[in-house]
Amino acid sequence: MNASCQLAVCSHMRSLLISFLRTTQPRFTAVRRRHYEALLYRSHGHPNDVIKMEKMTLPDIGAMDVRLRMLAAPVNPADINMIQGTYGILPSLPAVGGNEGLAEVIEVGNQVTTLSPGDWVIPVDAEFGTWRIEAVCNERDLIPVPNDIPLLSAATIGVNPCTAYRMLHDFIQLKPGDTVIQNGANSAVGQAVIQIAASMGINTINIVRNRPDLQNLVQKLKALGANYIIAEEQLHKSSAENILKDVPKPKLALNCVGGPNAAYLVDHLDYGGKLVTYGGMSKKP
Amino acid sequence: MWHAVKTLNAHNGYVCALIAKVARYSVSAALRKESVALVYKSHGDPMQVLKLQKLNLPALGDSEVLIKMLAAPINPADINMVQGTYAVLPELPAVGGNEGVGQVLEVGGHVTSFRPGDWVIPRDAGLGTWRKELVLKEHALLRVPSDIPLACAATLSVNPCTAIRMLSDFENLQPGNSVIQNAANSGVGQAVIQIAATKGIKTINVVRNRPNFQTLTEYLQSLGADYVITEESLRKPEMKDIFKNIPHPRLALNCVGGKSATEMLRHLQHGGTMVTYGGMAKQPVTAPVSSLIFKNVKLCGFWMTQWKRDHEHEMGELNEMISSLCSLIRQGKLKAPAYTEVPITDYKTALENAMKPFSSSKQILVM
Repeated sequence: MNASCQLAVCSHMRSLLISFLRTTQPRFTAVRRRHYEALLYRSHGHPNDVIKMEKMTLPDIGAMDVRLRMLAAPVNPADINMIQGTYGILPSLPAVGGNEGLAEVIEVGNQVTTLSPGDWVIPVDAEFGTWRIEAVCNERDLIPVPNDIPLLSAATIGVNPCTAYRMLHDFIQLKPGDTVIQNGANSAVGQAVIQIAASMGINTINIVRNRPDLQNLVQKLKALGANYIIAEEQLHKSSAENILKDVPKPKLALNCVGGPNAAYLVDHLDYGGKLVTYGGMSKKP
Repeated sequence: MWHAVKTLNAHNGYVCALIAKVARYSVSAALRKESVALVYKSHGDPMQVLKLQKLNLPALGDSEVLIKMLAAPINPADINMVQGTYAVLPELPAVGGNEGVGQVLEVGGHVTSFRPGDWVIPRDAGLGTWRKELVLKEHALLRVPSDIPLACAATLSVNPCTAIRMLSDFENLQPGNSVIQNAANSGVGQAVIQIAATKGIKTINVVRNRPNFQTLTEYLQSLGADYVITEESLRKPEMKDIFKNIPHPRLALNCVGGKSATEMLRHLQHGGTMVTYGGMAKQPVTAPVSSLIFKNVKLCGFWMTQWKRDHEHEMGELNEMISSLCSLIRQGKLKAPAYTEVPITDYKTALENAMKPFSSSKQILVM
């Protein structure tokens, strides 16, 4: 059984990379693997220094347990922060990295009722440790997802699109024609916000950092449904102010950057509007 | 000068004429065409731009009330309005002062809610209370009982109202819960201490350090403060000792900003709220991202003026609030902040004291 693993660990500032865990094994196997590989860290620190591929022993599968083969698991900023030891929750060490990803059910215990071999599943909670080839866990730790959606969509559904959805629904009662302003718009959450908002008829004003290929990024975000894109450096210029005159004042601002960028969002909110903070990429309050 | 005499119908057999009514403050029978007020014609340093001037009083309309002002405090918002830095700025020239208590002298023919002798306070800000008399529409006024101390009535509508709203509208506080606040010795701060005490809510009160810190602590404790600490102590490990006795606060009340606000945030319970109602340090509120994301803390603002405007058409709510506060005052559970009465003619002394740093006595102009 050969498993080849391609892993790219990127800094939390860069866009999403996926780790694919390929195996030559057929999808359904009757032979129980006793060992599997996982990306483990035994202390907090820089991921490049502390993450190592190690062989783990697969536990026996209990009556209410499920054995999974991981198919794909992204590298998100929160995953990096957990390894660095700076996150709000930290699993006990040693720990496997990765908080979300897509798996296929290989085998189920005899009291498992909601899942069957072949089902696609994602973990319910963080700290699952998804950067591994196989796992055994309780049935309740998983929720099924349809397997007729693209693999990459399924692997990245549990954190970022959910965050986008909740923020667009839980804070302000938004109606078609309303405006939402956000920074970090090209992040995974940002891109999900653009698309979900577009499906709700909500205008989005999207702030990104300037970069050499800004034009490409603008086109990409517009193709997803973004209404306006403003580079951070243009924020106080007339071009930005003109955009803000074109649309109703935003009732909701989504912030994952912090610092003066967040203060800008607050300044441009409508009366009674809300700023929701879900990240701190600039590491500023 | 003949002026309208209000006559109730013969069925009641009651006629209210403009005769001096013997009360604590005697009321003149003659309509004064001229009055005196603290007027400013431009924004700037209150010491420079405010002047005591003669003003003509308008003739009394049918739905209007002539009031003799009895007492009006100098609050920070009043200073900001004169300086031109406040969020609402009356048209110039304007009379200073946003709250105070007056006595009704005379009422127009269609006025039903007030009689001469009643004590009244303005419902809204911006009406200019630093003056001896004024004419206002009936619906701009609220009656308050005249058997409460004058200083309480004069300082009722801004600070105690702010305190009770902040304690009620943001977190569902139960007896035994705690609240943390900065500038605890301010008008609002002292009202928060007292109102919280009546509800069994514990208060942690942050003040700036000062030579007479001990005296101030004793004074605030006499109002019902549970803990009085300096800004510096807020950052020390000793805070843990407080939280052995009382729970972490669900609510933080901030009128300072800057580091003071950030430090209070650190002690808030998960899911708690910080309400900002002032900015005495002239610094923005700084919130670490971790408080927001991992402690799910909410930051909101409160502005009494906006609340009153939002509730303009539900007069019952404002009346009920004033009534509750007056009830506490009568029970001796809500005293006016430490204050100094200053005749309006000596306004410069009052202004100077009001604008001094560490001013510990609310300046109340008396007319």
